[in-house]
Amino acid sequence: MVGIKLNKIFFHRLFNNLVEFFRSDASRFLFPALFLVLVFYIIPVIISVYLSFTPLKNWNIDRYAGEIIGFENYYKFFYMLTHDPSVKAVFLTTIVFVALTLTVNVLGGLGLAIATYFMSEKAAGGTQLIWLLPRMTPIAVYSMIWYYFFHPSSIGTLNSILLHLGLIDKPIDFGQGIIPWGAWAIIVFVNGLVGVSYGMIVFTSAISNIPKELVIAARVDGASNWEITRRILIPLLKWHIIYVTTWQLLSLITTYDHLFLLVKWGLVNRDYGTTWSLYIYNTAFQLGETDQGLAAAAGVILVLVSSGLGLLTLKLMGFEKMIKPPRGDI
Amino acid sequence: MVVVRLDRVTKIFKGGVVGVKDISLTIKHGEFMALLGPSGSGKSTTLYLIAGIYKPTSGRIYFDDRDVTNLPPKDRNVGLVFQNWALYPHMKVYENIAFPLRLKKLPEEEIKRRVLDVARMLQIDKLLDRYPWQLSGGQQQRVAIARALVKEPDVLLLDEPLSNLDAILRISVRAELKRLQKKLGITTIYVTHDQAEALAMADRIALINEGRIVQVGTPEEVYNRPATVFVGGFLGNPPMNFLEAEVEDLDKEIFLVIGKYRIRAPERYWSIIRRLKTKRVIIGFRPEDTSIKPESLDTICLPGRVYGIEPLGRENIVVIEIGGELVKIISGRRISLTLDQMVWICPVMEKIILFDPATGKALDRLVVEEKIRAI
Ligand SMILES: Nc1ncnc2c1ncn2[C@@H]1O[C@H](COP(=O)(O)OP(=O)(O)OP(=O)(O)O)[C@@H](O)[C@H]1O
Ligand SMILES: [Mg+2]
Repeated sequence: MVGIKLNKIFFHRLFNNLVEFFRSDASRFLFPALFLVLVFYIIPVIISVYLSFTPLKNWNIDRYAGEIIGFENYYKFFYMLTHDPSVKAVFLTTIVFVALTLTVNVLGGLGLAIATYFMSEKAAGGTQLIWLLPRMTPIAVYSMIWYYFFHPSSIGTLNSILLHLGLIDKPIDFGQGIIPWGAWAIIVFVNGLVGVSYGMIVFTSAISNIPKELVIAARVDGASNWEITRRILIPLLKWHIIYVTTWQLLSLITTYDHLFLLVKWGLVNRDYGTTWSLYIYNTAFQLGETDQGLAAAAGVILVLVSSGLGLLTLKLMGFEKMIKPPRGDI
Repeated sequence: MVVVRLDRVTKIFKGGVVGVKDISLTIKHGEFMALLGPSGSGKSTTLYLIAGIYKPTSGRIYFDDRDVTNLPPKDRNVGLVFQNWALYPHMKVYENIAFPLRLKKLPEEEIKRRVLDVARMLQIDKLLDRYPWQLSGGQQQRVAIARALVKEPDVLLLDEPLSNLDAILRISVRAELKRLQKKLGITTIYVTHDQAEALAMADRIALINEGRIVQVGTPEEVYNRPATVFVGGFLGNPPMNFLEAEVEDLDKEIFLVIGKYRIRAPERYWSIIRRLKTKRVIIGFRPEDTSIKPESLDTICLPGRVYGIEPLGRENIVVIEIGGELVKIISGRRISLTLDQMVWICPVMEKIILFDPATGKALDRLVVEEKIRAI
């Protein structure tokens, strides 16, 4: 009885609050944003969660979408994760790919931003432009470049270089022949190169906001470039490093566009070139027999895992301290 | 402690912007030299050249007899204090001060001893555990000075270190800084655009304008014998007054004609005017070396109209219009003047300085230059 009463009060209050919100000016300001979030995030999430509880296959909505099978898709996914070698490989690949690419992205971006800081203006501009190229190149073209670079026959750029240098005597199949590290190296390399530019831009603009007197002062006191980097630039870039790390972590977990092409073209091994998000895509749309229920369950788990990881990174790196209380007592 | 010598130093930036041009300047052992000039005149550039942050386009820089022109900043042993103090925001005060010593890889006890010594000297030893943003402006400025002094530099370079402080604090820190400098006996170059600061603190002042040194001398010299119209107009508050005049040489006497009125030229200038065959001059006189009289008593007085009165408490500044020009005169605390009243202003004859309108240089300087050229 008490429970029902409390519930009534709760809903009554919620309802009143909602009515108040929609009457207030705030709702008018927030409406466009809320609308977008609703249409492009909340609704798809609800649909995905729903689908993960149905046995939907081959997009046969009429037949399967109305049927609720509970957690069966989740059990299936965990069973495959522990028993199916392909899914195991996908899981392992995801971890390795995200960890290594993230490291390359953040350290590469930081290294480039700092290196260009110490360069002359012209050299710095040129260097940065080169590193932006992967970002500016269409995904298909960019993937094609690396497809030919790592191609397993002697037409592959890398193979032909190695052959010419006499380091090998027959072409190597990097992506399919050296498993898993060959495939991993290629996907980390290709995605790492694309992601570096993001960190580079964020860190470059952050460095340009550091008063140059700080660096001059250190220089007058005898600091080398390395000491300036370690003792002044990096500590002052701390928040930007946290931000870029978190951002890149989340986008790497969900990215699959380059991987999709590399796998499809057969440059890298299917199992060790596929990450979790590509696996979801393939399961839902690609393989002969598609299983949207299973894909949806894998997707829901992925969202949970990445939200957890995102929060964990922020926590570990002390994000709360970044959001400083406003100055003054207002 | 060293003697710093700049020998015809020029710095031209990319795009042809002139930082400083042909600067020669010697700063003596333990001297407090102020580098005074308006914004953009090249003061910071000069300082950075001495520190080694900029390399001169031409010319040489010496510390004693050592040519340091191509030496990197770290090998010059200079302490530098910036206008914005440039304290490292992520380090506590202790670490900020210790930083130069850390870079030298000194043992920890020695670092600690020296940081504490200098902190005590500057009375910031209670603040060592704070971050820069937890300090007041005056405290931050002391930390910046401590960081420059802790490495026991040969030369101390200060780039407008007081300009971020409020007026009252600035005046008290001014005296303190000068005492400290004298106590340590460290050769110091102090950049400022505040003429009062330069006059109050410096042993000598180097006035710099548009990248060139205009005059170097003790505060007394540059104030009383400005070499150019610029120097006269830059020093003093209010600065020197200027009036243009025609020269009228009547053989027996020389007169200066301003509009309808004429005054007798100071006698010490007669031979100079005749030697230089000067036709026009700028008459310069200081507001405090001029009196206001109800009628003309002297051949050096000019008539004018009271244009405005600015009470300053201790004294009054009377603005007077003479033939369309405004001049400012400091008069005593009590005055009985009304607006638009006609009065006579009478500069003290000995304090008048005459300048050449074409070059802006003082006539006695021009005559010396001419003599040198004649040899
Ligand atoms: N790094 C630079 N590159 C190009 N021009 C510069 C540079 N630094 C200074 N300048 C130019 O050189 C001239 C002198 O500058 P400087 O900074 O020495 O002036 P300043 O006397 O210190 O002025 P302020 O009182 O405003 O600090 C200015 O015209 C300035 O624009
Ligand atoms: Mg300056």
